[in-house]
Amino acid sequence: MNHMQKATERAGRSKPRRRWLIHLFPLPALLVYAAFVIYPIFSAFTYSLYDWEGISRKGFAGFQNFVTLFTVEPFNEMFWNAIKHNLVYFIVEMVVQNGIAFGLAYVIYRKIRGSGVLKAAYFLPRLLSVIIVGFLWKLILNPNFGALNALLTHLGLEAWARPWLGDPNTALMTIILINCWFGIGFAVLIFLAGLQSIPEELVEAARLDGASGLTLLRKIILPLVMPSVTIMTILTFIQAFEAFELIYAMEGSQGEPFRSTDTLAVYFYRLAFGGPSGTGSVAIGLGSALSVILFFIVASVSAISVFLLRKKEIQH
Amino acid sequence: MKKKRVSVFLSTLLVASALLGACSSNTSSPDTGSQGGKENLGSQGNQEQVVLSMHSWRVEDGDGYKKIIKEFEQTNPGVKIEFKAFKSTEYNTILNTALQGDSGPDIMQLRPYQAGMSLADSGYLEPLDSVPGINHFAPDVLKAATAKDGKVYGVPLSLNSTQIYYNKKMFVDQGIQEPKTWDELLQTAKALKDKGVTPFAFGAKEAWLLSLSHGVIAPAEYGGNEFVDKVQKGEANFLSPEFKKSIEQMKELAPYFPDNFVGLDQNDTRALFATEKAAMYIHGSFDLDPMHKLNPNLDVDFFTLQGQDGNPLITTWVDGSWGVNAKSPHKEAALKFMEFMATQKFGEMFANEFKRISAVPGVKVDDPLVNKMAERTEKNATPYLILVYFGEGNPTTKAELENSLQGMYLDKMTPDQVAETVQKSAESWFAPFKK
Repeated sequence: MNHMQKATERAGRSKPRRRWLIHLFPLPALLVYAAFVIYPIFSAFTYSLYDWEGISRKGFAGFQNFVTLFTVEPFNEMFWNAIKHNLVYFIVEMVVQNGIAFGLAYVIYRKIRGSGVLKAAYFLPRLLSVIIVGFLWKLILNPNFGALNALLTHLGLEAWARPWLGDPNTALMTIILINCWFGIGFAVLIFLAGLQSIPEELVEAARLDGASGLTLLRKIILPLVMPSVTIMTILTFIQAFEAFELIYAMEGSQGEPFRSTDTLAVYFYRLAFGGPSGTGSVAIGLGSALSVILFFIVASVSAISVFLLRKKEIQH
Repeated sequence: MKKKRVSVFLSTLLVASALLGACSSNTSSPDTGSQGGKENLGSQGNQEQVVLSMHSWRVEDGDGYKKIIKEFEQTNPGVKIEFKAFKSTEYNTILNTALQGDSGPDIMQLRPYQAGMSLADSGYLEPLDSVPGINHFAPDVLKAATAKDGKVYGVPLSLNSTQIYYNKKMFVDQGIQEPKTWDELLQTAKALKDKGVTPFAFGAKEAWLLSLSHGVIAPAEYGGNEFVDKVQKGEANFLSPEFKKSIEQMKELAPYFPDNFVGLDQNDTRALFATEKAAMYIHGSFDLDPMHKLNPNLDVDFFTLQGQDGNPLITTWVDGSWGVNAKSPHKEAALKFMEFMATQKFGEMFANEFKRISAVPGVKVDDPLVNKMAERTEKNATPYLILVYFGEGNPTTKAELENSLQGMYLDKMTPDQVAETVQKSAESWFAPFKK
């Protein structure tokens, strides 16, 4: 028995009645959490099992809403169309945003001159609200008087100028890349924190053993920043599958043009809350069912990836 | 041990509170409770003040309504009305939640047609058939506030019309006359294009503007109200040649749209028209004000295409109405206000205050263009077919038309496929099309 245990036992003996009180301290936070997180999840789940007519609840429907989502046109078409866009969103974010962010973080980590300024600069877009980001980029990308097409024309690349947000071939990719620009600063910070937590002596020892450049990066640094990679992968996944704000700000709730920027969250919004300015019809049952599906996709994939990626992590 | 017990207790509490919360919300089914008679004191004993709450999505109209309400309060001393407006895009959610939680306003602005009438179908609204003055409205207008049970649940407020605006100065400069028919419209567009002028300020990025524009062009082609009647009887549908032709016409206009029109939204096209970079602009009566705000000196007029009788048709629909909460404790006072809203006096105040077409018949306005719209509406109106009759289904048939028109302009769909998609959507719920 060491000193610590003795000390706590003594404390426990002297004030036995007060001890359980500490368990009450999280209660206010738990109540807020229950009211605003757990309760909505429960109610969405119950809503998804009922028939709805407008905003009034009718009879119990079992899993009919889920069946409808997957078997009835156009719901099933829209579902697969949307989830495909979510996947593209995730892959491009992983490769472009996280790939570039890791490179930038590594450059800053190697203490290049002016790295502090760079760190702030990368994070700057994140300080803007998503709606403002959407608005600004809409101006830049305006097909007829936007800065991007003007720049391309000046450079003699007129053939490249196009209605970026109005062309179904480019709209989704354009929005994803804007989101990468928006989110890169955060990813840099996460990776940088991971890099900076690597013990100096490990890197030094590897150097003394003759490791340098790529070998050092591959054998020492990458395995040791795996925790950051895990976190960023999961966060990116959640973000990609809940992608909504930027699309809503730039393409509206219909995932325009021609549903080429539709995602599960936008589709959910359209189902549950109707179209623009509330003129569409409302399908709360289907909307709730979709949100439950979305919840399970995000929860299960996150859990699996934590499990798989944790294995690759090395404790130090 | 103790620790464990406490955490078990806490988690039970957590689950219990979540469940309790879920249960309490389940009881919000819309039975017209006994609350109705509870607080009738105010309207019976005239001494006491009745305060009515009035909710709207027109945040920008607050000051105007205050003037109108003051007028009502002067003749009805016992009643006070508190006007409150919410952001348009959030209004439905706020109103629905309040109604479900029994804390809805006494008087509320209702979306037109099915979107608003679903509240009546769910039992939240008071029927207004017996309100004096309600029978003066045209049947077409009342349709916007008539629920599935055939009763009227709202006093129609205003009418929207859609038309082709044109820049008078540009037309005069190019020596061009107002076109009257589809062929003349195409010739006009071609003449403008040949002279280096962009004929239409038109964008396909916002899909709702596509069905709006179709609603302006199509009635002259499919034959106005006659076709609308046939559709309601199931004698014509969206695969009928006259409707298909109207979709093809939308496609035929494409060469006369600005460069990159698939990427232009409403702000872009309005700017093009207001800054005199394009000669024509298809839009609603509600865009007149924003257009003039961009360029107060804009010399604008409008035209619509001729129907079969040679008179210019105008596409119109009702934009909202006012209804009474079925559970309001002050129903009597609220109904009095409904009566006021159906009078000529209210119509005139409303039309002049907001530069809109009042739904009350025979109301004149100061603005000449609004007057021209109102006059044409009284003589030769045809409903905005897809909005008035096809706002149901999920996604709505209207949304399907919009999305597939967008697909057509992006060369992803042919006009025939557009018509087929719309027909298929309508068949899923529109009774006359079900066989």
